This record gives sequence, C-alpha cells and structure tokens, in this order.
Amino acid sequence: MNTETLQHPRGAAAGKAHAVETVLSVSGLSPQAAHFSRVFELMVVAAIILLFTGAIHLHVLLLAGDWDLFLDWKDRQYWPLLTPVVMIMFPAALQGIFWTFFRLPIGATVGATCLMVAVCITRPASFMWWTDYPLNLVLPAQMIAGAIVLDVFLLVFRNALFTAIFGGFAFAFLFYPSNYTIFAPFYVPVSHQGMMASMADLIGYVYPRSATPEYIRIIERGTLRTFGDSASWVSALFGGFICIFMHYAWWYLGVTMSSMKFLPNNTKVMALMGTKADA
Amino acid sequence: MQSIKKTSKFLWVCFGLMLTACLFTESAWAHGERSQEPYLRTRTVQYYDVHYDKKTVKVNEEFTLVGKFRLMQDWPDAVSLPETVFLSAYSPGPMITRVESYLNGVPARQSFSKLELGRDYEFKLIMKGRVPGRHHIHPLLSIKGSGPLVGPGQWIEVTGNKADYVLPVTTMNGTEIENIEFYGTSRALKWYGVWISLAAFWLLFWLVRPLLLPRWMALQKGREDVLISTRDITVGVILGVVVVAISFGGYFYSKKEYPYVVPLQAGTNKVDPLPRQKAEVQVVVIKANYDVPGRAMHITARMTNNGSEQLSILEFATANLRFVNQQAPGADTAVSADYPRDLVARDGLGLSDQKPLMPGETRDIKFEASDALWEVERLVSFLTDVDSKFGGLLFFVDKSGKRIITEISGPILPTFTAL
Repeated sequence: MNTETLQHPRGAAAGKAHAVETVLSVSGLSPQAAHFSRVFELMVVAAIILLFTGAIHLHVLLLAGDWDLFLDWKDRQYWPLLTPVVMIMFPAALQGIFWTFFRLPIGATVGATCLMVAVCITRPASFMWWTDYPLNLVLPAQMIAGAIVLDVFLLVFRNALFTAIFGGFAFAFLFYPSNYTIFAPFYVPVSHQGMMASMADLIGYVYPRSATPEYIRIIERGTLRTFGDSASWVSALFGGFICIFMHYAWWYLGVTMSSMKFLPNNTKVMALMGTKADA
Repeated sequence: MQSIKKTSKFLWVCFGLMLTACLFTESAWAHGERSQEPYLRTRTVQYYDVHYDKKTVKVNEEFTLVGKFRLMQDWPDAVSLPETVFLSAYSPGPMITRVESYLNGVPARQSFSKLELGRDYEFKLIMKGRVPGRHHIHPLLSIKGSGPLVGPGQWIEVTGNKADYVLPVTTMNGTEIENIEFYGTSRALKWYGVWISLAAFWLLFWLVRPLLLPRWMALQKGREDVLISTRDITVGVILGVVVVAISFGGYFYSKKEYPYVVPLQAGTNKVDPLPRQKAEVQVVVIKANYDVPGRAMHITARMTNNGSEQLSILEFATANLRFVNQQAPGADTAVSADYPRDLVARDGLGLSDQKPLMPGETRDIKFEASDALWEVERLVSFLTDVDSKFGGLLFFVDKSGKRIITEISGPILPTFTAL
C-alpha cells in the first residue's frame, strides 16, 4: 500500500459508485464492535493528550527554553528562528503517524494544542502561584496558526514531501506575524533611568530573577544589521527553510517509531539472541 | 507468590521511608551562598560599606541598598574575569522589585563590560516591597561564566497586602500604564482564546467521526476514498485561509495600533572605577594558617607604611565577614547599626602588636581572626579547594579617622592541631 500519495476521491470512479458508504460500513465493524471501538478511541485520545502534553512541553522547554519562557527573550532574530524550528518536530512526527495509519490530517494541530494545554497549566502554576511572578513575564508563544496551516497543506497535497516544503515553510513563516499580535504591546518604548528600553526589557528588569542575569539573554546578536527592522522577516524566512528539512526528517522519525519491526527467524538471529537452534 | 509478597513489602517500606523523609525536610530560606567554595567568596568580589536604609517596608514602599565592592587583584584562575557583569539584588524571587540601580552613578538596567581588577566600584539599588513576608536580600554581582557573588544579606520585612502592589509607567509615546504587572495580559489571553477555538474546531471536526480503528481498517482495504471527502477539503482550505488572514490581518492591525516600537535592548554599559587610593600601605603575607579545631585564621604579614601618618589596623574583612580590632581608634563606629550582626565576629581581630605603624616603618604583624563564623559560613573547606589561597581586605585608620583599604592575599595551610 502506498502510504504517501492518494488518488483524489473526486477522480476515483469507485467514489461515485460508493457514494453512500461510510467509514464504518466499509470497515465492516458490527454496531457493537463500533461502539467499543469508539470507547477505545476516547481512551486513546485521553492518553495521547496526557502523554504528548508532557512530552512536547518538556521538548520545547529543553530546546527552545528561555526564548519561549520569558518576555525579554522574544527578540527579532533568535526567537522567530529557533522557536518554530524546535516546535515543528513533534507536530511533524504526529502528522506522519496520524496520516500514515489513519489518514487523519490533525497531527500538527494535536501537537500544538497539547503544548498550549501544557503551558496554560504550567505558566500560571509555576510562575504566578508558586513563585509570584506576573503572568505577563512568562506569556508563551502559540504555534496553533502554523500547525493548522500545516495540516491543511497535508490535506490538500496528501504528500509528505510537498507538505514539508510548503507546509513546513508556512509553519515557521506564520509564527512571527501570528504571535506579533500578542506581543506587540511589549515592544513599546519607555524611558527608564534616562535610557530607552522596551516594555519587555522593563518588565524583565523589575521582577528579579537572581539566577538569570541580564547578560544571559541570547538576543539581537550576530549580523542581519543591513536589514534594519526587517531582521525578523529574514529570521522567519530562514526558519522556514530549516523547518522544511526538520519536518521531513521528523515525519519519517514518527512513522518509523510507530512501526512494528520483526527480526527473521533464522539461525543467525537466534545465535545473536543467545538461543540455541534446534538440531 | 512468596517473591511477589516480598517485593511488595519492600516497595511499601521504601514508600513509607520516602513519606517520612518528606515530613522532616526543612525549607531553604536563605544563605545559599554558603554552598559556594571559599576561594570564590574570599578572592573575587569584596563588598564593604554596605548599608540598608530600612529593615521593614510596606508593600509599594521603597528602600535603598548602597555599598561598594573591590574586585580583588589576586583573582582566581578558576573564575572567569569580570568581562561582563550584572548588578542586581539577590532575593527569593520577586518578593521585592527593582526600581532603579546604579553602578558608579551609571544606570545599571543592563550589564556592564570590562570591569577592572584591583579597583573599587560603588553601587546603589532602589527596591520596592511587593510580597509580604520576611525575605533575605543581598546585593549581587553576577559574572559571566562564573555566576553570582553576593554581598552581606539582610532580612527585610515586607508588610501589607500583595494585591496593593502597583508600579505605574508612562511610555515614551505618552501612554499611561496603571500597573506594569497586568500590562498586556488580557490582550494575550483573548488571542490565545481565538487560536485555541480554531484548533478546537479543527480537532472536533475530525474527532466526532470514527477515528482510529474504522479508519485503519478502511485504509487496509484500500478504501481511502471514504476517508477524506470533498467537504473535508473545502472546510480545511477555508480554515487555512481564515488562519492566514487572521495572522497577517492581526499583524498589520497591531503595526498600526503600535506604530512606535523598539527591539529588545541588548548592549552593555561601560563605567570607570572609583579613583584609586594612594598606595599608602604595602602588605605582603608571610604565613597564613587556618586552625581547624580552633576555628581561627592566623596571618603573619609584613606591613610597610608608605604614608605620612601613623596607621592602626582597624579591620580584616573577607567574604562579608568582619573582624574588627576593638582597640583601634574608631572601632566602635566601624560597623554600622544596620550591618547584619550574624556576619560580625564577636571577639573581633586579635593582633600580636597593637602599636600603630609609623610612617616609613616596616614591621611583621601577626593577626588572628577567630570565630565560629568560619564554620557557619562554610569557609573552611580548604582541603577541597583547587587553589588553596585566601583573600580579603585590610582596613587601616589614621589618627584623623581616615580609612585606607588594602588587599591582602596569599597561600593558606590548614592545620589540624591546636596552634
């Protein structure tokens, strides 16, 4: 079975003949079996939410880390570049799994939503309630916009390669504008002690984080200076380019990790496993 | 069956022990600096003249912390040089907030670069009470590559109600923000709601139908045509267009709403050190021992008075500990009332010879800094130090009360028998 491409249903002559058929009728499940299948699906959904909420949150914390955690790390160079490159990994793997085995174009959205659920719990809990930091210092970026578009590209193209090229690129390119609406007020300038700062810098300064001195911020370093205030779009473009490859690689990683592999039952393998072959 | 019972019993015992351990844990409130190695605290940043103007403040009330620090000339090799530093206040989270900070009069919101060894700097921190409670606050200098080096800590009591905390700000385009604490939060939450709603719609669009097993079975039979319909594609494309429109529409609208924006400020400041004091005293360490059972540091140093006034040894200070020579002129006012008393040695500094050092004179003087503070502050782990040396500041005073500060440093040997 070719798991990557699919003939368009409108072009399939069989589609006309089976117009009234549903997934259930084609699957051949009895009503009782279908009911139990549904109960099982809901249990799987709950398990996926729990599992991937934790996994994707840990993944983003470890790789994107401070860029996603703190307001005064959301610059124009590293944030629009690193965050989508990190955030596309799990959605791409989930897309690969859901599409390959179930033809469900929801993998990326599941990943993005699970991350949103995780940060909606952890940011208020860890920072606001546990350590008394204001919520605006730790507002997270969202990747739902890019994830939905990534899923739509998969739905339209039905092809891993084109999804990676167009969808992966769009995922990163949409990251900056879709999050700018949230973070725009924090780039408004203020004068503090006679020096200019953004509101994000000021909020980061006012609330002390003893273990993260100001110089630790990896922001606005490197070149791209000839682009003036368009540096963020250059980062978004470059991030899109990297995401193409990241999506393709993680799609296949997801499919491989969810596939069953069997070792042949021969004497070589048995010797490797330490079992004696029959005489 | 027996082994299952045994394993189960063992697991219950472990669980019980864990619970018991949790009951007897203590909270850590202060003095984390005691975990730092002695050479880090005695040979890098020496704080002095540290003053807290208040010990009790209300929520929203400001208090000021001033002081000076010397960056020791004999800087340890294992510690990064102060090429990039950041001045701050060490606190258990945002229990207090920073209002203003200065290093030698230069605003210190950002980091500083290229501070000089062997020189002095003056700092000023203005802070504000925010969360009621008793909080341990230190001045803090963070050095890139090495971490935080704290000054003497003081308990600050914050009274009142946390909900009363406000920090109003006026932006450069005239917008008045009532309280920086809630700025931008409701807007962000609304946008999160928009995106989560769109995601929920897309997920529910697929979740309401048979999801896993029926689709998998249909796929195995080669009936992919029933899995994705024209309607699915249409809905998906419309949703995609809506998402892109909202993303870019929102972006351009925000650009119009906030036409004047600045990037995050990432530069470092530069500042000159305080003027160098004339080198009126030269101190060379001849011998230094730490008496482990006696909890005393014995230092013999050759001191030369190159000045024109006679000088008395007033104080030996290291790692925020202060050993004051009670017999020196001005000893009774050497330690200000607000200095943390748990960092001042009770018996002060003992000298082999209390006679002042006359102008031009060179003399070997032995002094003893003895107190249980060495152990309490965990400054005695010389056996585990990679660089077994000590450092500190020696304060001299002349007849007029003028103070001269010198660095003192050298190798130190621990001794395990009484000296």
